[in-house]
Amino acid sequence: MSRALFQPKLADDWQTAVADLLVRLADDELVIGHRNSEWTGLAPILEADIAFSSMAQDEIGHALAYYRLLHELGYPDPDTMAFLREPQDFRCASLVSIPKGDWSVSIVRQFLYDTAETVRLEALCDSAYEPLASLARKLRTEEKYHLLHGKTWLHRLGDATDESHRRVQTALDLLWPHALGLFEPTRWDRTLANERIQPSEPTLAQEWRARVEPLLTDASLVAPEGVEPLFGGRVGRHPPSLAELIAAMQKVFRLDPGAQW
Amino acid sequence: MTDTQWRVYEVFHQQARGEPHVHVGSVHAPDPETALLMAKEQFGRRQACVNMWVVPQEAISATSYEDADLFQHTTDKSYREPFGYETTKRARAIGDPQEL
Repeated sequence: MSRALFQPKLADDWQTAVADLLVRLADDELVIGHRNSEWTGLAPILEADIAFSSMAQDEIGHALAYYRLLHELGYPDPDTMAFLREPQDFRCASLVSIPKGDWSVSIVRQFLYDTAETVRLEALCDSAYEPLASLARKLRTEEKYHLLHGKTWLHRLGDATDESHRRVQTALDLLWPHALGLFEPTRWDRTLANERIQPSEPTLAQEWRARVEPLLTDASLVAPEGVEPLFGGRVGRHPPSLAELIAAMQKVFRLDPGAQW
Repeated sequence: MTDTQWRVYEVFHQQARGEPHVHVGSVHAPDPETALLMAKEQFGRRQACVNMWVVPQEAISATSYEDADLFQHTTDKSYREPFGYETTKRARAIGDPQEL
């Protein structure tokens, strides 16, 4: 499929900026949803398995909603966006694609990601792009549980035993630069802020840190200092783990893209 | 049977404010907060719910099934049924008396 189809020519600069933002939002959700679904059947206990799998479904549902907004702007339908693009066409941050690791890595990632998503959704509720604002207001309700899930687990693991504490702190050190990369500034930052579609990425990053750090302290964890963010995802430069994930995710669909399910 | 996992919390679920909390099942969890977290996804994601309780299983005192005869009525206790009320009579006039 040609590249141009995935990036239709839009009438205005602001529309292009909105579309770029929507692709980032959708791809983050789809990829973390897929990663988290890898715990289905394998999480530490049945109850945790059901909760984590259910949240993975929520994230994929959010991705679908963002892809639908893109479709309204002239992009291909959601299935094509999810299953027929190449890794370099994706605009997700590296945080969502790195392998699921052990339970502590996935829990810390879920916590960092959903805190960021909450901050972003709260800002988007006031977006001048009304379809996005109304979607953000809807999705925010589900994030309440995701945030509670992340906080509760982080607190338990951070405070339980020496081993659990060591594992979550190690996971936090590993994930921190990737999490900072969620707020990679793009060339559309200024347009999005000027048009009041979304605050700039550095503004969101600052708000995220202000929320995350006290929660880490509560869980006896320390946010790494002086770490450079890992950028690249928003311009299509990804760690090899994304290509592996996408190959697995698209495998069945690509066997017969026209199949009726 | 001994349970080698976490504590068991019994879950009660309320469909609307003012309605009774109904027992819907149980979850394993290390503490009440986590139990609520688990219960929400186990039992709150398909049906309507406005409030959920979790109670440590060991906090519940129960009768034994061997003592089920405690609840049997051996003599006629129909005088305890509310058949003397006007509404009962009206309902009886409309519907099947067996139903009352």
